[in-house]
Amino acid sequence: MSFIIKTLIFESVFQANPIVMIQFIPLLTIQTFAAVISFIAGALVTLVVFFLIFTSSKEEDKTSAKHKVYKMRGRYFFGLVLSIVIVLLLTLRLLPYEKFQGTPEETVTVVAMQWMWKMGPGLSDKKPAEFGGAGEITLPANKMIRFVVTSSDVNHSFGIYNSKGVLVTQTQAMPQYNNILEHVFDEKGEYHILCLEYCGLPHGLMVGKININ
Amino acid sequence: MIEISATEIKKQKKLVLTWSITFLTVFPLLIILGLLMRLNQGEKISLGMDNFYVLMTLHGLGMAGILYSIAFAALWYLIGTRYAKLNTGTGYFVFFMVLAGVAGLVIATLIGKFGAGWYLLYPLPFKGTFWPTWATGLSIISLIILGIAWLIGIIHLVYALAKEFGGFSNLLGWQYIRKKEVDRELPPIVLITTVSLVPGVIAFIAGAVFLVMFLLQHFEPTLAFDPLLLKNLIFFFGHTLVNITLYCCIGWVYALLPEFTGRPWKVDKVVVYSWNATFFFILFAYFHHLYMDFVQPLPFQYAGQIASYLSAIPATAITMFGVIAQLYHSKVKWGVIPLSFLLGTAGWAIGGFSAVVDSTIAANKVLHNTLWVPAHFHTYMLGGVVLFILGFLFYLSHSKEEQEKDKMAKFGLWLFVIAVHSFIATFYRGGLRSIPRRYSDYGGIRIEYTHSTGALLAQIASVFIGLLLVGLIIMYVSIIVKLSKRKIPSAGA
Repeated sequence: MSFIIKTLIFESVFQANPIVMIQFIPLLTIQTFAAVISFIAGALVTLVVFFLIFTSSKEEDKTSAKHKVYKMRGRYFFGLVLSIVIVLLLTLRLLPYEKFQGTPEETVTVVAMQWMWKMGPGLSDKKPAEFGGAGEITLPANKMIRFVVTSSDVNHSFGIYNSKGVLVTQTQAMPQYNNILEHVFDEKGEYHILCLEYCGLPHGLMVGKININ
Repeated sequence: MIEISATEIKKQKKLVLTWSITFLTVFPLLIILGLLMRLNQGEKISLGMDNFYVLMTLHGLGMAGILYSIAFAALWYLIGTRYAKLNTGTGYFVFFMVLAGVAGLVIATLIGKFGAGWYLLYPLPFKGTFWPTWATGLSIISLIILGIAWLIGIIHLVYALAKEFGGFSNLLGWQYIRKKEVDRELPPIVLITTVSLVPGVIAFIAGAVFLVMFLLQHFEPTLAFDPLLLKNLIFFFGHTLVNITLYCCIGWVYALLPEFTGRPWKVDKVVVYSWNATFFFILFAYFHHLYMDFVQPLPFQYAGQIASYLSAIPATAITMFGVIAQLYHSKVKWGVIPLSFLLGTAGWAIGGFSAVVDSTIAANKVLHNTLWVPAHFHTYMLGGVVLFILGFLFYLSHSKEEQEKDKMAKFGLWLFVIAVHSFIATFYRGGLRSIPRRYSDYGGIRIEYTHSTGALLAQIASVFIGLLLVGLIIMYVSIIVKLSKRKIPSAGA
C-alpha cells in the first residue's frame, strides 16, 4: 500500500515536469501567477477578519469554540504541509542557476561599472576594469545565451526587460565574482537592461540594450 | 515568583512613556520622508537625485530602528511590570544611546548627505559616493552605537528572565517537553521574547562584525573585503532585525488579547515546538535575499526557500489560529485595541504570504528588487507591526471601557488601515509591472510604459499616504488626550 502511495506521489509530483505544465497555460506568467494567488490569499484573510468581527457577538463556551477552531486547524495544518511539500518539489526544479539550464550556444561577457554596462561577445580574459565592451549588443533569438556577469566597482543587478516593460530575468553583478545567467530570447526585438541594485547617484540612469534578431 | 512593587511599576511606566513619545514624534516624520519620495517618483516635486537617496536612507534606517525600539520597549515594559525585575537605569541608558545613534544618523544623512541606503551594501559606501567620507564614518559609528545599545538591552532582559524562570532552557519552554507537569507556567510573552531576542543577539553580533570591517575600510581605504561575505552579514543582520520586530509585537498580542476576550492563551507543548521552530526559521530565512547572487552556494539557496516556506507553519497554524480561537464567538467588544490586534494579524498574514511568493527562487527572478519587495515589507510592517504598536499605545492610554467607546480612535484606525492597504496596492501593482525599486524617478528608463506606470502609481500612492497620515493624526489625538488626562492602568491588573 505504502509503495503504491509513494509511487503515485513520485510519479505525479516529483516526475512531473513543471516547465511542461506551465506551457499548458501560456498566459500564466510568473507575475500573473503571483498576482492571482496573492489576491486570493488577501481576499481569504479579509473574509476571515469580517467573519470574526460580525460573528463575535454570538456567545459560545470557550471550550466548544476552541474545539471547533482547533479541529479546523488540524485540517489546515495537513493541507498547508502538503501544499508546501508539493510547491517545493515543483519550484525547486525551476531554478535560474547554471546547472538547471541547457547547453549554452553563445557566451557574452557583461561588466557593470558606475554607471554603465559593458557587453561583448565571448568570454573575456581581461580584468573587469580593462574590459572594453559596449552598452548595446545584438544576439540571436531562440538560442541559449550565457551571460558571464561581473562588476568592476560596486554591486549592480543585470535586469533584462522586454519591449513591453516586463522583467524577464536578472542576476547580480558583483565585484570579484562571475554570476552565470543563461537565457533564451524567444521574441525578436529590443530588450532593455536596467540596473536593479542601488549603486549610487545615477543608478536609475544605468541602462543598456540588447537587440534580438 | 517575583513581586513587582508599585514604585517599580511607576518607574517602568515613565520609561515606556519616554519611548512612546519618541515613537509618536519620529514615526510621522519618517512617513513624510516616504511621501516626499513617492511625490518625487510621481514627478510632482523635484528633490534632486542626491536628496532622494538621502531621504531613502534615513527613511529605511529610521523606520527599522524606531519600530524595533518601540517593540523592544513595549516588551520591556510588560516583562518589567509582570515577570522580572528590570533595571530602569539600564533602560534609560539604552534609550539615550539609541538617541545618540539616531542623532548621528540624522547628522550624517541630512547634513552629510550620506545616501548609501539602509543596507550600506559593500563596497557602495566607499566607492563613487556623492557624500563626504566623514558622513560614512559617522554613519558607521552611529550604527555601532545603536547595535551596542540594543545588545545591552536584550542581554539585560533575557538574563533577568533566565534568573527568574530558572535557566535559559526554561525560557524556551523545554520543561514542557521534559516533564508532564511543569512547576511553574511559562507566560507566552516570555517564550516569545526569548525566541525573538536571542536571534537578535546573533544578528547584532553579525552587524558588529560587518560594521567593524567597514570601520577598518574607512580608515584604511586600500583594504578589500569579500563582497559576498559582507552581503551575507548585512542581510542576516537587516532581515533578522525586521523579522524579530514583528515577533516582539506578537509577544504582547499573546499577553494582552486574552484580557479582552476573557479566554486564557497559555503555553503548551504545541506552542513550545512552534516557537522553537520559529527560532531556527528566523536565522535561516535571510538567505532569500541572496537568490540573485548565483555564486552563493546552492544549499544556502535551498535553505532560504525552505526556511521561508516552513516559517508559515508556526505563524499561521499556531499564532494566527490562536488569534482566531481567541476571538471566535467570544462576545468580545470591538474596541480599538482588539481591533488593532486583529487587523495587524491580517496585515501580517497578507504581507507574509506575498513574502513567501517572493521567497520562491523561480519567482524571485522577476520580482527581486521590483516594487513587489517594498510592497510585502510595507504590508508586514505598516499593516502589521504598526497596528500592533498602536494597539499597545491604546492599551497604555485607554482603560478597557474607554477603548470600547472611543469612536474617534476606531474611525482613525479604519481610515488608517484602508489607506495603508490602498497605498500598498500601488507597490504590488508596480511589482507586477516590473517597476524597479530604489529609483529616484523613472525618467531615465527608456521603456515608456515602465516610466509612465511607475510615475502614475507613485502619484496615486502619495494620495493614500496623505490619507493614512490623517488616520494616524486622529488616533494620535485620541492617545495624547487620554494620556494627558489619566493615569496609566497598572500592568497585570
